[in-house]
This record gives sequence, structure tokens and C-alpha cells, in this order.
Amino acid sequence: MEDLLLYLTNGVFMGATYALVALGVTLIVGIMGVVNFAHGELYVLAGYFSALFAQAMGLDPLSSMLVAVVLVFFFGLVIERTLIRPTYGEEMYSLIITFILYIILQNAYLVIFGPYPNKPPNWVSGASNLFGLFYYGNQRLASFAAAAAVITVFMVVMHKTWLGRVIRSVAMDREMASILGVNTERVNMLSFGLGCVLAACAGVILTPVFPVTPTVGVGISLTAFVVMILGGLGSFTGCIVGGLLLGIVENLGVGYVSSGYKHVFGFVILILVLFFRPTGLFGQKQL
Amino acid sequence: MQAAGTAKDMKKLLGGESTPWLIVLAGFSFLPLVLGPYWLNSAILGLFYVMMASSWNLLAGFTGQVSFAHAAFAGIGCYTSGILSAKLGLHPLLGLPLGVALAALLSLCLGALCIKMGGIYLSLTTLAFSEIVHIVIQNEYQITRGTMGLKVPFIVGPYSKVTAFYIMLVAAAGIVWLVRWIINADMGLRFRAVLNDETAAQSLGVPVMRVRLTAFVISGAMAGLAGSLYGHYLTLITPHIPSLDMMFHVLAMAVIGGLGTLAGPIVGAFLLEVLSEFVRQFSDKYHVLVFACVALVFARFAPQGLVGLAVDWWKKAMSGGRSA
Amino acid sequence: MKKYWKPLAVLAVLATALSGMAGTAMAEETIKMGVVGPRTGGAAATGTAFEEGIALALDKINGAGGLLGKKMEVVFEDTAGDPAKAAGGIEKLITKDKVVMVLGESHSSAALAEIDVANRNKVPLIIAEAWHDDITKKNYPYVFRAGPCNSGVVNDSIMGFVKQYGFKRVAIFAENTDWGMGIKDLAEKGLKAAKVEFTTIETERKSQDHYAELNKVKKFKPDLILAFVYGFGVHYLIAQAGEVGIVPSQALLLEGAGPPSLWPEFWKTVGNYGNLELFVSRMHEKVLLTPVAKEFDAAYRKKFSKAPTDYKSRSIYDVILIAADAVKRAGSTDSDKLVKSLENTELVVSSGKVTFGKEKGSYAYHQWQPPMLIIQWQDKQQVVVYPMDAKTGDLKK
Repeated sequence: MEDLLLYLTNGVFMGATYALVALGVTLIVGIMGVVNFAHGELYVLAGYFSALFAQAMGLDPLSSMLVAVVLVFFFGLVIERTLIRPTYGEEMYSLIITFILYIILQNAYLVIFGPYPNKPPNWVSGASNLFGLFYYGNQRLASFAAAAAVITVFMVVMHKTWLGRVIRSVAMDREMASILGVNTERVNMLSFGLGCVLAACAGVILTPVFPVTPTVGVGISLTAFVVMILGGLGSFTGCIVGGLLLGIVENLGVGYVSSGYKHVFGFVILILVLFFRPTGLFGQKQL
Repeated sequence: MQAAGTAKDMKKLLGGESTPWLIVLAGFSFLPLVLGPYWLNSAILGLFYVMMASSWNLLAGFTGQVSFAHAAFAGIGCYTSGILSAKLGLHPLLGLPLGVALAALLSLCLGALCIKMGGIYLSLTTLAFSEIVHIVIQNEYQITRGTMGLKVPFIVGPYSKVTAFYIMLVAAAGIVWLVRWIINADMGLRFRAVLNDETAAQSLGVPVMRVRLTAFVISGAMAGLAGSLYGHYLTLITPHIPSLDMMFHVLAMAVIGGLGTLAGPIVGAFLLEVLSEFVRQFSDKYHVLVFACVALVFARFAPQGLVGLAVDWWKKAMSGGRSA
Repeated sequence: MKKYWKPLAVLAVLATALSGMAGTAMAEETIKMGVVGPRTGGAAATGTAFEEGIALALDKINGAGGLLGKKMEVVFEDTAGDPAKAAGGIEKLITKDKVVMVLGESHSSAALAEIDVANRNKVPLIIAEAWHDDITKKNYPYVFRAGPCNSGVVNDSIMGFVKQYGFKRVAIFAENTDWGMGIKDLAEKGLKAAKVEFTTIETERKSQDHYAELNKVKKFKPDLILAFVYGFGVHYLIAQAGEVGIVPSQALLLEGAGPPSLWPEFWKTVGNYGNLELFVSRMHEKVLLTPVAKEFDAAYRKKFSKAPTDYKSRSIYDVILIAADAVKRAGSTDSDKLVKSLENTELVVSSGKVTFGKEKGSYAYHQWQPPMLIIQWQDKQQVVVYPMDAKTGDLKK
């Protein structure tokens, strides 16, 4: 029982982080039909930025995180403008471009930051006794709270505000939205930037728990893809449910099956989902 | 009708168009006389990449399906034939066809699963498949020796780079020839029809799914062959063969050389092989980075690749000459 | 003109590439040694340590007049810890750079690929820091190791330490690589023989989250954890073991590989949970066993104006001295003469006096096991706690 609770707690924590990363990928896929292979690399960049600003420039954790997220947002806009825009409508072309971009960024980080892991100082230290049964790191709890907060804000913006309605209208019917006077090009750029912001948020929130290295990005992208397909392409709710599900399955798998195959569980789920329900849990449309 | 088609194909195959290819092939077959062991090694690696990039191009360039499982199929080929020969003592030449067969079988299964959905789904599913293969090979160290790599016997006879070179040359020429035959034959027309306009192709009676699946399986089997030969040349196979890194190299070569052209992947493979030796002289750290930057510049500004550029330029020069 | 720029650019690229192919031939005025090791990838820190050691060794040897009247030169080839790259890299050193000997390596998987190439080409290879028993167990005539091997580390150092301090319940936490699994098997055998209760947890090398596995460790209630996880992975493990309350209050943790506990990132990741952590090492600033060790220490501080931390800089330094000594005594660069002269080595280097085993049949052939220290972090000070004759302080629990 105690074991199960620990696995579930840890699963929910990991799941929330997966959901956060996957939301960014889903946003970009939903609006633009572009699978951003370099998503994890933006996460890594934000992680490195937040660590560097906190250490080298002595900024407090919150402002270093904000600066990191803003910088990655602008970096995302530059990528969209120079590399992604010419590929609209050709999803294979954009996939090739972002795949190459992922290799470039990963190797560039290796040259710039070295192979060493880096992390900003923890926001809080120590561990808390949960349910009177086991200890759980305080930084993990804080990161979980932050991830949940960002996800909530994102969902509110998407469903309750004017901006969210515009973005979703483009996702649903680009031509109609354009006829109704929405500047779809600008919406594209903004969505890509927002997707990058989500990656960056995940990066700055998780780096204190899992230090970044130049090569962790690809694992993060892959997990995000799995969660996205599991939840259904383009569905935000699907992302959240899919993320939590994956986190829990992975932890139960490690706990009760085999710890060596942790990362295979997700890919097996993915293939099963595609076989039995290709639209995922919450998806309506296929892209 | 059928006979006429075949005769035409034969003519295409042996006619004037083939001459430059035969000259290149003849040129290559003299390389071992000129190159020392070091550069011969590079040439063999180049031939391996020619096989990989050409067969991936059949899929991505001619039918528009970006598969990320190509390196995984090479891995399946080399580990199948490698394990059979290293553990059960099967001769590599017998293990080789089994490796190819398993790669073909798995690509049939994978293709059946995701071809229908196509597009992004295909790319992401093949990506997941490729990661599974990579992780399983890495984890099942009792069978595969994991990251330490599995020692496998040399292809045939005592270790010799010259032997390996000629075997790889024959295999590479075979694969290029097969790709060429496919795209020139009826099937190639269908491929292009599928690439250009799926719905139109369907309405004209082209069985789109079957055509795609055929391409997927042929390409997977070719990767299996390339992988097995490569493994038996290296005599050491590691999870690096079925990895995204390898996948990137293959993709970059096809893109730089020119997707959807026959010569593109060949040019790309050898160019990058030479470029990598060149960059290596300065620092190993930068060689993938340089590759990737070159690939990005091509993908973004010249998606037709080197061969496409050359063709465009040639056409322009010809027409320019006429008008002047 | 404009329409020509594209082909011209292409030609330019081709020309530069081809010019790389030329210019490889060079007159042989130096004696070339090859070094293999990871300069990129997860263990690139080792490459940096090797570079430092190479620089110091070259200073020493060339400062004393070089070898056989020529200067010594080192060509350092990256293997990235990848066996395929390693095999290609050493092949290049031998066939293209024509080195007389190859030295180094710190990954067992890479080393196991290298020994075949070296042996096939009949060029002596001296491994510095790859611990797998098979490297010397294969009894290849051209392969030597002047560094620790798993059997030596586990049987002499780790088991001696466990028995000496009377640990009762041991949890083994091993990554699922050849090194992790190989050293795990040896440790299990040793613990079984010593009648110590133990449990084994395998983990995925790339995993950053160990909570679920640590839960199993915790329930076993060990008083010692043997961590066979290399690189940054062990940092994550220690930090999380601290968070869930295992170290250091419930159990001590002994890290089986050494250098990761000395990397600058260590304290950043593990925080206070790193206190009382133990690790295996070949070097401690107060334990300078030989005059060469003192010389190395002084030269290092002078050249890099800091104290040497990663002991692998000294490992490669030692191996280069061994190689240079063999060339000197052989009076030639002929491979077979070099092997003979290596077999007769009796040289004092920084970690002790080197002699290679000559009897075939086990891992001890062509092997020299340097003495290993077990060091504990006590308030960020390194305290040697084993072996007892090199102790600089008491073990704290």
C-alpha cells in the first residue's frame, strides 16, 4: 500500500511535467501542423539560462526564470520566422527542418555549455513526510505546484480569453478564421512562440530537480510526442490526462515490472494506442 | 503489352542513360589500388551510407514518407545476422539473408500499423519504434552485449578491407540499380503519383496504401542488408547503428545530395564522408555540428539538394546558351 | 555572373573538402604516441583530465631531451565512450597517424573494441582506466593495462572495506551496462562469500528519476549502498537518496567509480546529501606514495594553478611515462621489441612501482593493479578511510 502510494505520487509528479512539455508540442501541432522536434532543446536552453542567470549574474530564482522564459520566447519567434514559416502546409518538410535543428542545438549546447549538467539552486530544501508514510523532496513538491499552476493558467487563457478563442478558431478552421479577419500568419507566429514558452516553463521549473545536460532534450521531446498521441493530436485535455497516465504507468512499471525498461513503457503504449484507437483518448481529428 | 514494357525497361536500363553510371562504377572498382587502408575504410563507410541514404530516399524522396525507423532496420539486420553468426556459429553469408528477411518482416508489420494514417503519425510511430529497438538492444546485454557491442565474424574469409570494399560495392550498386529500376518501372510512376496527389492517384485506380507499403518494405529490407554488411565489416556492432544519430546522418546525406533524385544520396553520402574527415582534422567536437548546419542550409534554401541545383543550373545554362 | 554562384559555391565546398584529403602526409621527425579517450559525450570530463595529464607528461619527457633523440608527440583521438567510434579512432591512429603505441581509454566498452584492432595491427596498447576484466583476460600479447581492473577493485578494496568495518546489509545499485553488470556480479560473489546479506537493484543508465527504485532500497534497510552508476547519474542518485531519507542517516553510500564524486558539479547537484559519501580513488593530496607523485602534484599546481582533482589526469601521465620508458629501454619503435620491454618494466610512477603480470591464463596477464584508496567526504574534506595503512582519518557514520 505504502509502495503503491509512493509510485502514484511520483507518477503524478512526473505526469504533470510530461503534460506541461506535451502541451507546447500539441499547441504547435494543433495550430500549425508542425511537429517541433527541437521542443526538448528549447526546454534545455531555458534550463541552462535559468541556471546561468542565477549563478553568474546572481539573480534571484524567480527573475532568472522569467528572463529565461522571455529569451526563449524570442528565440522561438526567430526560429518560426526564419525556418518554419516557409514550410507551412508541408508537414514532412517542417519535420525534416526541426529534426536537423534538434541536432544542431544539441551539438551547439555541447560546445557552448560543455557536457556537464547544470542546475540553479533549489527554491526550497529538504523533504516532507507525505501521508506519514514516506519522504518526498520539497523541491519536487514545489515544482509540481508550479507546473500545475502553469497548466491551469494555460487552460484558462485558451478557453476563457479572446486570445484563446482566436487561436482555437485558427486550429479548427484556418480558412474560415482568415475570412473572418484573423491574421493567421501572426497567430502562427504567436502560437509557435507560446509553444516555446511552455517548453521554457517546463525547463525552468524542472531544472532544479533534474539538472539539464545537452543531451536530455531528445528524451523530453520523445515523451512529449508519446503523450500527445496518447491524448489525441491537438487536444489539450488529452495532453493532461495522457501525461498523468504515462507518469503513473512508468512508475508502476518500474515498481512492479522492470526498472531497465522504464522508457519503453511509453513507446509500447503509443503503439498500442495507434493500433486500437488511432485518434488517441480525446482526439477527434487526424492530422 | 507486358513484354513491350519490360523491353522498354531493359532498354532504359542498358541504354545510353546507363553509361555514366557504369563509368562511375568502373572508376570505383579501381579505388582499392589507389587508396591506403585509412581512406579505403572511409570509402567503405561511404558505400554503406550510399545504401542507407538511397533506400531511405526511395521512401522519403519518392513516396513522401519520412520514416525515422531506417537506422532501426539496419540495426535489426546487423543484430540478427550478428547474433546468429556470433552465438550460433552460422556463416555470415547465411545470416545475412535472415537479417534482411527479419528487417523486411518487421517493416511489413510496422508499415501495416501506420501507413494508413501516414504523415505525422507515420513519422512519430517509426520514431517510437526506433527508440524501442535502440533500448531493447541496449538493455538485453546478455544477448546483444549492450553498449559494449557484440563481436561478430568478418563477412567472408580472413579480415580484408579490399574484400569488404568489393562486397559493399556490389551491394551498393545493386541497391542503386534496384531503386533506379523501381522508379523507372510502372511502380515508380505509381510512387510519384502517390507523392504528387494522393487523392488523384486513388481515383485513377492506384492502390495507394499497397504502393506505400511496398515502398516501405523494400526500403526496410535494403536497410537491413546495408546494416548486416556494415556490421560484418566493422566486426563489432553496437546500439549506435540503430540510433537517431545514425538516422540523422542518413537523412542529412539524402537532403544535402537531393531528395527524390537517384544520384543525390550517392553524392551526399560521399561528400559528407569526405567532409567529416576534413572537419576531423580540426576537432572532433564540431563534426556533427558542421554536418547539421550544412544540412539545415540545404533543407531551408535549396531543398532540391546538390544534384537538384546542378540540374537546374544545367538546364538554365542550356536554355541561356540557346537564347543567346 | 549571378547564375553561376550556386555551382561555384558547390565547387568551393568540394575543393575545401578535397584539400582535406591531401596534406595528410608528413615527415616523421617525432615519435608519435596515440591516446584514446572520451573528449565528447557523457564522460567528456575525462578527456579534459587526459589533456592535462598529457601536457604534463610531454613537458617532463621532452624537457629531459625526448625519446631516442627525437621529440615525443601525442595524438589524442576522441572515442566518445562508443565502441564503434573507438574502433575507428584507434584504427585511424595506427593506419593514418602511424603511432608507435596507443595509450589511455576510460570506457570498458570502448577499450574492448580497441584491443582487437591493436592486436590485429600488432601495435602495443596500454589501457589506463578501463576496468573490465576481459581487457586483459583475453591474454592478447599486444594489450597491457596499467590501471585498476574490476576484480582488483572489488576483491581488494571494496570487499576489504566492507569486512574491515563490519557492514551487515548491503544494497547494490547498478546501472545496466557492461561495467555496471560486470562489477555487480563480482560484488555479489564477494558478499556471498563474506556471508553479508545483500540485495541488487538494476537501473537504467539514462534515467534521471530513481524514486521508485530507491523505495525498494529503503525497504531493505541497508547500512551500506554500493553505487555502480557512472557519471552524472550517480549525482542524481545521491541527491534523491538523500531526499527520501536513506543517506547519510540510514546508510552510507560507496560510489564504485571515483571521479564523478570529484567533478565540480558534484556538490551543486547533491548538496548536503554528499556529506559522508564514500568513493574509490587513486589519488589523495596527503597520500603521495612516490617521489613521482610529488613531482606530478607540484607540476600540476604550477601549470594549471589549481590542485589536481580528477585522478585520471595522473593515470594518463603514469601511462605515458611507462610507454616512454619502454621505448627508451627497447631503443627502437619496433612493436615486438616494445612488448618485450614493456613486459620487463620496473618503473616507479606516481601510484607505485609498475610491473606487469607475465603468466597467461587470467586477467592478471599484462596487468598492473595500482593501489586504490577509499575516501570519505567529511565536511567537504577528503579523508582516506581504507586501506588502513594509508588512513588519514576515521570513518564517520
